[in-house]
Amino acid sequence: MAVFQIWLVRTLASAHPVAAAMRTRWGWPTAETIHFIGLSLLVGCVGTFDLRLLGVGKRIPIAALHKLIPWGVFGWVLNLLSGLTFLMTEPDQYIYNPSFHFKLLFMGIAGANALTFYATLYRRVTAVDASPPPRWAKVIAATSLSMWIGVIVCGRLLTFYRPAPCGDDGPGFLAECIPSTKRVR
Amino acid sequence: MLAWLESTAFSVWIRESPSMLAFPGILSLHTIGMGIVAGINGVIALRILGAAPDVPLGEMRRFLPMMWLGFWVNAASGAALLIGYPTKALTNPVFYVKLGCIAAALVLVVAIRRRVLTAGGLASAKRLAVASLVCWTGAITAGRLLAYTYRHLLSR
Repeated sequence: MAVFQIWLVRTLASAHPVAAAMRTRWGWPTAETIHFIGLSLLVGCVGTFDLRLLGVGKRIPIAALHKLIPWGVFGWVLNLLSGLTFLMTEPDQYIYNPSFHFKLLFMGIAGANALTFYATLYRRVTAVDASPPPRWAKVIAATSLSMWIGVIVCGRLLTFYRPAPCGDDGPGFLAECIPSTKRVR
Repeated sequence: MLAWLESTAFSVWIRESPSMLAFPGILSLHTIGMGIVAGINGVIALRILGAAPDVPLGEMRRFLPMMWLGFWVNAASGAALLIGYPTKALTNPVFYVKLGCIAAALVLVVAIRRRVLTAGGLASAKRLAVASLVCWTGAITAGRLLAYTYRHLLSR
């Protein structure tokens, strides 16, 4: 894993024009602002849909509310792109950061959770003659809400878990410190 | 005055405690609250502007209690962050831009609830929705720029 991380850092760092733009006076703040707007769009659209599955606004047809999800996906894409600009500028501050590892883990669970929803529930709850969602739909909704909150918290904690250079032991299986690339190779 | 506030135990705890519940935790709460407040208001504005047209407009009211919960979480966490670094915020004009955006957005929330969600439909509804989106985007932008535009971190 550590070898893969080192490769990833090198690959991300090779995007010189992006990093150069990000290092200008307003590059980083602009990308951060977009990241926060995307966050609000994603959490607003996906979060209201989750709340609906949890029983808020029962008179809103689930299929009708689902039309907002593309806007949430748009927010997610904004954040994927703006997030990549951070990674391309300071790759080792993310790839070796335990808070970033958890952020990716929570995003992965949120993604798998969403896929589970579309594979099992989507047709049933959005049908014209849809009956109220089954009780376990609430598990999906609660998982989604808590994972996205987890993603926000991990994102906010990134700067408090900045990785330091690895000690004599070198990186473990999953590097949570900045390896001296000479030694690992 | 600012020096006194900065010397209080609560202010020092927020700034200097190594606990993740202090500054990092409050910052996390503030970001979660932001997602809830700007997100739900954004979704209501999108609905007014024509997204998800089959959602009964008045029913969007059901999400307002959650929006207000997020708002109060952010009023409290924002006050705590302000107590931690009063000089940093109060000497920065951008902070007042942020407060102005939020104040205008709150007026719009009340107007949208009363005149659009409750009374149903209104010629100027779309203008209110656009204004709401502009205000929340402005508040987020100003808030983010606070980290880059301050002139004094502490009073001394």
